[in-house]
Amino acid sequence: MFDSLPDHFRSHGLSADIKTLLLVRKSFKRGLITTLGDLYLVLKGIVPTDPSQYGPFAVAFYDYFLDIEIKKGEKLEHAVARSASFKDWKSKKLGDDDRELDFNEITTLVDQFLDEVHLTSYDIQEILSGEAILKTDDPDRKDTAEQDDVSSDEDVTKAADYSKYSLQELKERMERVLEQQRRKHKGGDHWVGEEGRSPYGQRGAAIGGVRVGQQGGGKMARAVIGDRRFYPVDKKAKLSDDNIDVALTLLKGIEEESIEMRLDIPNTIKEGVKMGGLFLPIEREHKEKKTEVVLLIDNGGYSMTPYIEVVTRLFSKMKRRFTHDLQTYYFHNTIYGGAWSDERRTKYLKLDKILKLAKKKCVFVIGDADMGPYELSDSSMKDWQELKEHFRKMVWLNPTIERLWPMSDTIPIFRQIFPMFPLTPEGVEKAVQEMNKKFVKS
Amino acid sequence: MTEKKIWKGSDQYICDPELAQAFHMARVLAMPLLIEGEPGTGKTELPIQFAKDTDKPLFVYPAGSKSNVEQFVAKFDHVKYLRDSQVEVLNAQREAQGVSKKLSTGGRSTDRLDDYVIRGPGALSYSSPNSVLLIDEIDKAPREFPNDLLYALSHRKFVLPESGKIIEVSEQDMPTIVITSNREQELPTAFKGRCIYHYIAFPTPELMKEIVLKHHPKTDEKVLNKAVDVFYQMRKIGLERAPATRELLNWLKYLNAYDQEEALEHIKEMDSSGILIKTKADMEKVKTRAKYSTTNSI
Repeated sequence: MFDSLPDHFRSHGLSADIKTLLLVRKSFKRGLITTLGDLYLVLKGIVPTDPSQYGPFAVAFYDYFLDIEIKKGEKLEHAVARSASFKDWKSKKLGDDDRELDFNEITTLVDQFLDEVHLTSYDIQEILSGEAILKTDDPDRKDTAEQDDVSSDEDVTKAADYSKYSLQELKERMERVLEQQRRKHKGGDHWVGEEGRSPYGQRGAAIGGVRVGQQGGGKMARAVIGDRRFYPVDKKAKLSDDNIDVALTLLKGIEEESIEMRLDIPNTIKEGVKMGGLFLPIEREHKEKKTEVVLLIDNGGYSMTPYIEVVTRLFSKMKRRFTHDLQTYYFHNTIYGGAWSDERRTKYLKLDKILKLAKKKCVFVIGDADMGPYELSDSSMKDWQELKEHFRKMVWLNPTIERLWPMSDTIPIFRQIFPMFPLTPEGVEKAVQEMNKKFVKS
Repeated sequence: MTEKKIWKGSDQYICDPELAQAFHMARVLAMPLLIEGEPGTGKTELPIQFAKDTDKPLFVYPAGSKSNVEQFVAKFDHVKYLRDSQVEVLNAQREAQGVSKKLSTGGRSTDRLDDYVIRGPGALSYSSPNSVLLIDEIDKAPREFPNDLLYALSHRKFVLPESGKIIEVSEQDMPTIVITSNREQELPTAFKGRCIYHYIAFPTPELMKEIVLKHHPKTDEKVLNKAVDVFYQMRKIGLERAPATRELLNWLKYLNAYDQEEALEHIKEMDSSGILIKTKADMEKVKTRAKYSTTNSI
């Protein structure tokens, strides 16, 4: 069923495969799907595995099931309004009335269309139980009053008429699926019957004049399109508030594996019991993964000013994550025999203090590494060399544009000592990979 | 197939329709529901309230940095086993010496390995049909943990350590599993693929007001509107730690101790903002903002 769906969804950067189809089929069989709105929700539960996939998912869904193409940066309402599916639906709904509609009327119609698309069996239940009608009755009356002057009863009956045209596309698609299903599996009758029995007929009557989509999937879909939180992050973009979280999950990947021998109590006991109470210690390897991070931040100088805020925000978030295992030091331009342990640079620490930290710590230097050549003295270079020799894992993250690095006087010098990466989510990812490389003692 | 009715929340808990449907879907398909979202969006409350409302046994496993599948499924108590086997040796010696008094093993026998298996929430919920199992904050657990869980989740069975006993559950009796995550760590894709995924967005102000009223039904409308207004403003100004639902609820609990006028005065003065703001830097930021806005008061 929906044979081409996985390919289609994959082309939108989502992961979908035969398992997705099997789950959809299972959902059909168990009566989870009776309307397109249900199908949207089921797929939404199965396909996206991250909020950043909700955007592409909605786009893929509209394209596949409704032939509505949502262009980049376009609002869902606009995409719907110019789509053939909507025009088709509209002309059937309005019948002969083919006068030019004004903006408000179009908006109302698009809303109704979306409500129908996202009408779920849950909504239907709600409506049948009368709650939704009571809740939304009044405001809605005003909406439709201009279009047709009818009492509410008539409105509902009238609505039932257009229900049978609604989402012709979907029905056709579903019917095709249905047939396939029937040929292949006899059990398919289960949901065929259900479908024939209830949703389409009820849907129309139910939806007449009642706005339901606003509270269900329709709202989410509308919110999702055009909200960048629901799209994948551009990993090449500069680190900003939006992609800090992505960078952080990457940072979490630094792994420090240590192996030590420990007394294997369970096996000692097991063997001891076998030997009639003579306990000989048995040892086993104990692996531990731990991440300890040291930050060296350049927080002085004009060149760093534009980046300070985002850098501090990144690491204030990091602080919360590595609570006990994070140490931060500050320097100005480059280090001269030591660094400061506070942001305002009042508490000075000599370099040998820093060099007493455990060798296995992961060190990130964050700075533009750009200064007058005269500022980078030999003794300062020596300090950096010493740090590099002490810490096995040390990388440099540079917030300036990578393309311009060769133009600087000092960046190429630093690059000879440290692996340097741009301060972007992608750069952080590469830096973490670099950290994870198995350390081989030369 | 047992009919599973859609659960829409209870008197104490407002369940967003979309979450309700995802939850329903997870139950019908007998798959775990993975809920991600900001703190304070009611992720943990869902299974707790569901269990309470439908009278089902609830098993909770709070994940932490030291979590492992052993704790979750079952552990073999080696120390007790050692003690009991020593006791047996001792008792045999005593008997040989003609001492009649014996040391007790508390009804356990070293022949029955199952006696020494301590079952964790996972094994307990799998052996109690249709129970509710909550795995809380799985993102706090080490990376291997979710991977290790995969087997149990996809095969619906656990193998107990040492005794080798298998706890298996049919699809009908499968416990309702809810897993929550604050997204502090990316979960393995294979793991996410085995779950129904739902991301809870932060509630809208309207929904938030409803939530507050469920907890504090007597809240004055004017106070509620103003407090929620201030709360959402605070969330907007980019604090290090934005206040979440829990903080708002606490704040209103405090404000409810006063009458309407006093409460409004307290909101205006921001003297109780310690309930909402949790870091010093944030506090300063809020105070500077408050100074600007005191001129255009309520």
